[in-house]
Order: sequence, then structure tokens, then C-alpha cells
Amino acid sequence: MRSVFSKLGKALALMVVVSSLSMFVGGASAAEDKGHEIVIDGSTTVGPIAKAFAEYYMEKYPEVNITVSESGSGNGAKSLINGTCHIADMSRFMKESEFKAAVEKDVLPVAHVVAMDGLAVIVHPSNPASDLTLEQVRDIYLGKITNWNEVGGPEKKIVVISRDTNSGTYETFENIVMRKEKIAAGVEYVGSNGAIRQRVQSTQAAIGYVGLGFVDRTVKALTVNGVAPTGNTVASGKYPIARPLYMFTNRYPKLGSHVHGFVTLHMSKKGQEIIEAIGFVPLTQY
Amino acid sequence: MGNRDDSPTATIAETRSPAALTRSELLLTKRSRRFRRLGSLLGEGLLFAIASVSTVAVLFIFIFIFKDALPFFTLRGFKEFFTSIAWYPSADPPEFGALAMFIGSGLVTLGAVVVAVPMGVSAAVCLSFVLPFAVRQVVKPVIEILAAIPSVAYGFFALVVFAPLLQTRGPGLLSVAIWLVGVPIILLGAVVAGGLVSRRVSGRFLLAGRTATIVAIVGPGLWLLYRLSGGIRGVEVTSGTNALNVSIILGIMALPTIVSVSEDALQAVGRELREGSYALGATRAETVLRVVIPAAGSGILAAVILGVMRAVGETMVVWMASGNAAQIPEPWFNYLEPVRTLTATIAGDMGEADHVTGSARYHVLFAMALCLLAISFVANLASELVMRRTRRMLGGE
Amino acid sequence: MESKTQLGTRKLLDRSFTGLGVGSIVLMVAALIIVLGPIFVRGWGSFLFRATVEHRQMMLENFGRGDAEVILAEAAAAEQARQPVYVMIARFEEELDEMGSPERREYRGYLGELKDRLRELLGPLPGEPRPVLPRSQYGQTRWDRAVVKLRDVLYVEEYDYSDPTRMGQRILVPRVKDFEGTSLEPLFAYIEQNLTEMLRPRVTFYWRFLFDTSVDAHFFGGIWPEVLGTLYLTVGAMLFAVPLGIVAAIYLAEYAGEGRIISGLRSFISTLAGVPSIVFGLFGLAFFINAIHISRSKSVLAGSLTLAVLVLPTVIRASEEAVRAVPQTYKEAALSVGASKWRTITTVILPAALPGILTGIVISMGRAAGETAPIIFTAAVSVGRPLKLWQTLTQGTPALPWNIYNLATEHEAVDEIRHVQYGMVLTLVLLVLLLNIAAILLRARITRKLRG
Repeated sequence: MRSVFSKLGKALALMVVVSSLSMFVGGASAAEDKGHEIVIDGSTTVGPIAKAFAEYYMEKYPEVNITVSESGSGNGAKSLINGTCHIADMSRFMKESEFKAAVEKDVLPVAHVVAMDGLAVIVHPSNPASDLTLEQVRDIYLGKITNWNEVGGPEKKIVVISRDTNSGTYETFENIVMRKEKIAAGVEYVGSNGAIRQRVQSTQAAIGYVGLGFVDRTVKALTVNGVAPTGNTVASGKYPIARPLYMFTNRYPKLGSHVHGFVTLHMSKKGQEIIEAIGFVPLTQY
Repeated sequence: MGNRDDSPTATIAETRSPAALTRSELLLTKRSRRFRRLGSLLGEGLLFAIASVSTVAVLFIFIFIFKDALPFFTLRGFKEFFTSIAWYPSADPPEFGALAMFIGSGLVTLGAVVVAVPMGVSAAVCLSFVLPFAVRQVVKPVIEILAAIPSVAYGFFALVVFAPLLQTRGPGLLSVAIWLVGVPIILLGAVVAGGLVSRRVSGRFLLAGRTATIVAIVGPGLWLLYRLSGGIRGVEVTSGTNALNVSIILGIMALPTIVSVSEDALQAVGRELREGSYALGATRAETVLRVVIPAAGSGILAAVILGVMRAVGETMVVWMASGNAAQIPEPWFNYLEPVRTLTATIAGDMGEADHVTGSARYHVLFAMALCLLAISFVANLASELVMRRTRRMLGGE
Repeated sequence: MESKTQLGTRKLLDRSFTGLGVGSIVLMVAALIIVLGPIFVRGWGSFLFRATVEHRQMMLENFGRGDAEVILAEAAAAEQARQPVYVMIARFEEELDEMGSPERREYRGYLGELKDRLRELLGPLPGEPRPVLPRSQYGQTRWDRAVVKLRDVLYVEEYDYSDPTRMGQRILVPRVKDFEGTSLEPLFAYIEQNLTEMLRPRVTFYWRFLFDTSVDAHFFGGIWPEVLGTLYLTVGAMLFAVPLGIVAAIYLAEYAGEGRIISGLRSFISTLAGVPSIVFGLFGLAFFINAIHISRSKSVLAGSLTLAVLVLPTVIRASEEAVRAVPQTYKEAALSVGASKWRTITTVILPAALPGILTGIVISMGRAAGETAPIIFTAAVSVGRPLKLWQTLTQGTPALPWNIYNLATEHEAVDEIRHVQYGMVLTLVLLVLLLNIAAILLRARITRKLRG
């Protein structure tokens, strides 16, 4: 029995030594990027693009490991500023305070626009309402319009759904639609585009907003001011709630590095095809 | 056992014959004794240090959370956080009223308690005193499995299975539940009332009196149930992710804790109390209700407190299925409305990895975490005090 | 003097009281069945299902699995069954070119929709360029999804908004009505009757679901990165918690008195047990990653440390109980032959307490495997490769609990991958249950040993 324990003790000691050594090794590499891993964090809107790109890129270069997290545009920015990610997906531009904080930490954010997106206002397919003006959408989210019968539907209380405050989609909505006015108190908050779509497709009286890539047959996208959200109307600027989708890096990535290869993927034909296949609007008519 | 032993505490049963041992090896010299004591003291000290890692961890947790929560309160004060329901952290100027979250946490915890405590305590009673040993061996694993299911699995169930169910068949289910719970209560009430009446009235009026009481209770009771269930059926459940959904699931999650701790408390009540009660002619129900439960009262209270702690601190279920609306439902007991809890807010807005941008936004989450920590700390203390009192009352284990 | 009726009432009360207790237990068991039922029933669907020829083709091209000749021959046979469909469509397109302009536009619209649905069901039409995303490169790989998509082909979902007092009513209009009088009419009956030939479903046991990496954001493939991540996190957590926990338990059981410091220590341990899991997550982020920079960003190491702090109280409690349960006689016997305290502990007490300690470890493993909140911001990512051992120190990993949440709420095609979500939940629940059953069996063995 004693031998078992001495062996156990030795093994334990060895593990402790090894792990503490590797902790030092791991910590030391924080300063530079080994080149074989890309950490991506940020928006849930850009998430599907980042994931598809990651899979394509990892197939091309099997030695690279790309991890993608989708915790919201704000978190992406913070991760980039803190140096905990290489690429920050954001569905909004960086705020002034974020730029200031970045510069203080010697991070110079560079924006790469990978695609264009429109915020589609979605309702359940059974909802007769089909067109709203921007003001009506705002009034719904302000709580001034509370029943569907005021905007072309039956008499039913509107269930209003919005994105969490850490989201770039939310910020875009706040800027363009709400014009910085505050959203009403009874609004439900969910954490991602996918979650909004789920709520809307399961609740007949719900209304929400998602990125164009998340509109499918299970929800109905309303026309806003008479304009339907499609690739064309977003690209031409006709659709009122449109925005670019960004990937931010710290300074321009070193030419030839894997990060560089990744953030320039959207310029290739393959990249644009992927973006279009997912449902967003590629930057050019490739 | 052939290894050579080099430690100073060599046993005498070594390979040499007693006669060959030198004087210094046989006797406990002062020096070796001191050496040995020092060694054991150091060893004990090291063990103590390692054992205190948990203390260190708790202190660190408290310190780090407090350190990052304090700036929020120095920046924004206490009043807004605890009394305002305006939660607009990204607005300009931002507002950090967390009252709606506190109430949301309170509502779902209350709901969980209502679901779990009656079921849990009666289950514990049944387990301890009613069920035969064989059935107990089957039921206990069921409880342990309920406790072991990960919270994200419960959350998944609440979101994917339960929420659509509530939305499509919610009113129907609720009215069935009302009947299921209401009818036994009414019948029981009628029987109890009948018993009370029979004690006061006697003779010819007995039968008439009892019948009258029973009718008087059952009649209006059933009518009340009928109205209630009709009313519920008319209610529309606009969103299946609401406080009711979360309360039920949290109740199921808290059940195992309540059942096992209550069971311990009930069994700690000495046999003599129970046997004495039986000797006086009480039925099992009366013994349990009037003797055992009061005796185990503080233990059951401790169980409830632990269950409450479990419900308050739960994150995944509420994040996925509570609807996350920062509002106080109108009226406050309308459980069919979505609510938002403290834990879900932290999880949803967490990851403010640094405190440089939007400082108050970052610190407010730590302020919430501090409140949660304080609540759990107080609850823990309360349950410990209660348990200690039980132990003292029952004269040790 | 007690009347008969009073006794009757009391007996009735007693019986109803028993009934209440039994009812509660029945409700609890029912709750367990209701919660686990759908998970088990639908979770198996990701392992055992009827796979179509598209699935086998996908496996061949993405994982190199299966007999290429056989599969290609099967694909060719399926292609033959689909030929009439494509021929009819091509012919209809020619007819379109000869139609008048307004008619043509209408039919083009209907045809476009029909082709979209067909692509979802059968894969890209012949002559079209290969789509870039794997999810569009194949038709339906599962027969149950194929049946659903068939309905989308055969019926148009419309809403009747005529009643202004309620939301629109869903009506399914047969799509053949759109093409009434054209040469495309017989297409629908043909598809409905020949779907089996076109897709060739076969019952498959896809046990590799556990060991395959995912293809195209979990549209195809398996959940190996998540399973591996969970294993790393759990083992890592135990690596840190077990030594600390056992040592602490030994100290508390053997060395400590009952003084103020010791009861203070104990109350700290139980306080740690009561801390909400999200607070652990916040602490893990603030301390391990931000303060002492144990890794540059999320990593399995940081996640394991956070989980270790979470399960430490459980390990300590279980180990202490086990050590205390060792009969005094063992200790006394050891002391009587002159063993020192430390020697007694290592050679006599610990081995005797080992089963109990192991039970505690196993239960804690179950807890660590299932926790989500502590790993959200310390270790868990949505997408990533299965990590090699040395990568765990610096890189985050997908993990079952986090990805269940992610797939169930954030994914871009939640309905298409329901079976993957259920499969993940089933895997996690089975993992945790297995660990707990092992603990229960261990404990039964201990009680049997102690009693007999």
C-alpha cells in the first residue's frame, strides 16, 4: 500500500511541476502571437460568417486552430482592447470611449468591413401586418403603440423583443430607429439574433429585429417605409436600417500571417460566396 | 514491506535484533524528540495551510467582487440601484436601476419555494416514516438523479419543451393543475371540518351537522375551483418563457436539497418522541404533524433556506427561460409575465473584460454579484445557526 | 370518550396524509420522467436514425468513410430516380421561354420557389455550380427531416388574413395548384411516390456522432470537440481539487480540534459551497485571467481552476465524512504497533476511506462536467478544434454545457440542428448520470461492507 501512495505522490508532484512549468510557458507567450491560433470574439450577427470562414480556413491550413466566441459586439471590443483576442467581430463601429481605452492600452483598432447587413424587423408569419414606417417601429418599442390593431393587425397585445444591451445589433437599432430614446420597460431581452428569431417564430404577437442573415421562412420580414430588406436594397442604401459588419484587429495584421489571411478572406470570391450563402450582403458584385 | 525506512520515526520492528540497537536509537533523546515534534508541527502547519485554501478562496472571491463593486456605489450611490426600475446601462446618460431584477429574483424564488417546500417536506416525511425500506432504496436514487441533472439540461427543457407547451396548452394545463391541487384540499378541509363539528355536536344533530358542514365546504369550494379554472382557461399565455416556467423548474431543482436535508432533520428526532406519541394513541399523521415536524422544525427551516439558496443562485435556467424583461409584472403576482433575475443579467452582460470603457456598466455587474454573495452568505449563516440550534435541542447527533 | 366518528375522521386524515406523501413522491418521479423523457427519446435520434444516400455521400466526402464504390453506385441509382424530376423542370423552363411575358414572370416566381425547396430536399440541381457552404452541398441527410422538407415541396404555406379579429390562419395549399395545366403537374405525385428511391433511407447507427468533429457549424458531423472539452475541463478540475480536498479533509478529521479557528474554517468551507455559480464565473474571469494572467485569453486551465474552486467543498465534505467513518479500532491498532500519526493516515486510514473519497470525487466530477456559468467566460468558445493536451493551457475549447446553450439559442438555423442539440444534452446527461450511478454503486458497496 505504501508503494501505491509513494507512486501516487510522485505522480502528483510530477504533474504539479509540469503544469506549473507550462503555466509559465503559456503565460510568456502572451506577448506575441504564435501564429498558429486565431482567437475571435464578438458579435452574434457576424458569428455565422466568422464560423464559416473559420471552417474554410482551417481546412486550407490544418495547423491553425481558430476559436470563435459569440458574446456580443461590446465584449469583442473589450477583448481586443485587453489583448485577449486577435479579431473582434462587431456589428457596429467602435465607440469613442472604446477607441480611447484602446489607445491607452497601446491597441490601435483597424476596421475591416466584411459584409453589409440590414436589420430586418420580423413578425410571425401569421401576422397580417406587413408594412410599418420607421416611426411606427419606434413607437412600438417606446411603448406608445401597444396593440397590433393600431398598425394593421388584429386586436392583440404586442410582445416586443429586443437584443441585450451588449449587442451591436441593439446599438444599431438604438441609433437608427430609436434615435437614442429609451426602449419601454416591458420589453423582453434575449442574447442573440437566433434567440430573437426563435421567440418571434413561436409567438404570434411578437415583433423583433435581426440581421438579414437570420431571416428565413419561419418569420416574416416587414417592409419598412415601403422598402423590403433584400440584398439589393441594403447595398443601394434604400433600406433605412442598414449597416456594415466589421472585423477589428489590433493594427493592420502582419502581411502573410494567418490573421491577415483570415481578415482578407472576404475579399476573395470564395469569401463573398460564403457571405452571400449565409444570407448577408457581400461588398461587391463579385 | 521491504523498503528501507529512513524517516526519524522508524518503528522498532526493523531488521536488527533488539540487542544490536544502539542506545541512541532505542531511547527518545531530547534532540530527536524535538526534531520529531518540529517535523510534525511543520507538517501539521502545511496541512492547515492547504486546508485553508478554501478559506483563502472565499476571501479572495469576496475581496475581488467587493473591490470591483465598490466603484459603482461610489459613482452612483445606493438609491438608484436599489429603488429604480429603469435599467438602461447603454443609454446616454445611463441608468442603473436594478429593482426589477431584485424583484424578479424574488418572484422566481418565491415560486420555487411554493412548488418545492410542500412537495419536498411531505416527500421527506413519507420517505422517513411511511415507505418500506425496499421502496426507499428505489426512491433515493431518483432524488439523487434529480439533483445530478445539469442546470443547462433543465434550462434546455424549460426553453425547448416546456415554454412551447405553456404557450399552446398553458391555460389548459394550469386549470388541470388547479383541479388536481384543489380537490384534495377541499375534501380534506371538509373532512377536518366534519371532524371538528362532530366533536361539538352530539346525538341527533350529529349526522345532520356533519352533512351540512361537508356540503357547506365542498359545494362552494368546487364552485370556486370551477370559476378559477374557467378564468385561467381564458387567460392567454403570450410568452412561454415567463416566471411560472422558471419557478416550476427551479422548484424541481431545489427539491432534492429540501428532501434530503429535511429527511436528515426528521430522522434526527429521537425515536422516543415518536414512540411516546404512538403510545398515547396518536395516529401516524398526528404524530408527524404534531410531534415530529415541530421537533425537526428548525432542521426543515434549514432545508428550506438551502433550497432558497439554490434557487436564487441558479443562472442557466433563468437565462434561457425567464424572458429577461426588466420589468415588474403587473400585478406583481402575475407569473405569466417574463421577468429578469440578477443572475441572468450578470450572465447576459458579463464579459466586460476590463473596466476602462463604460466603467459603471462594468462595475454594476459586480455590484449585483456582491448582492448575490451577500444573500448567499446570510442564508448560509442562517441555516448554520438553525442547524446548530437543532443539534443542541435534540441533544447532539 | 372518543366517538367512533372521531376515530374514523382521524383514520381518514391519517390515510390522506399518507396519500399526500405518496402523491408527492409520485409527482417527483413524474417530474423526473417528464424532464428526462424528451431528452432521451429525441436524443437517441442523433445516434440512431434513417440516413439517406446524401448522408453517406457527405460522410464519404468529408470524413473519407465508407466504401466509395458502393456509395457512388448508390448515388448514381438515386440520380436515376431523380432524373424525371430534372427533365420535367428543364422542359418546363423551355416552355417558359415561349410564353408571354406576364405569364412567364408569374411562373418564373413559382418555379424559383419550387427549385429552392427541391434543392433543400435533394441537393443542388444538375448543372448548377457547387455551393460553397457544405450545408447546401447535400440534400437532406436524415429521413425524418426529408419528410418535413417534402411537405415544403408539396405544399405552399399561406396565411388567410381574412378575419380581422385574429391572426392569420395557416393553410397548406398544394403547390401543384400553382402549376395547374402545365407540364409540371405530374411532378409532385412523382416526387411523393418516389422519394424513397430518390433518397434511399437506411437505418444507421451513427455512433461516431460522439467522435466526429462538426462540419459547417453542426449541420453535419458530430460533437467530439465539445465532448473532449468537457473531459479536459472535468479532469483538470479534479486534478486541482482532489489533492487539496483530501489534504484538507485529513486535516479537519484528524488534526483539527474544535476550536474557534477550526469552526471558522468549516463555516468558510460551507460558505464556499453556497456561492452562486455565476459569481464563480465572474471571479474566475477577474482573478485567473485578468489579475494573474494564467492565460492570455480563455483557456481550459483557467476554466479548470474555476471549476476546481467550485467543487472543492464537495470533495472536502465527502472525504472528511469518509475519513471519519473509518472505525477507531483501525487507528488504535496502527498506533499500538508504534506507527506515527502521518504513517497511520497514509497506510491505514486513507486506504480504508478510499471508497468514500472516491464516491465524493465521482459526484464532484459529475458536478464539474455539468456546470456552465463558471466556464462561460473562462474557457468556453462556440467553435474550435479538438485540443491537444498542451494546447489546453492557452486555448479555450467548446464544451458540452456551453454549446448546448449556444446551439439552442444563438445558432443561425436552430430548427435544422435540433437533433444535434438533443444529442448533446443526452450525452451530457448520460455522462453525469453514469458518474452518479457509479457513485451510488460505490456507496452501496461501502454500506454493505460496513454492515457485513
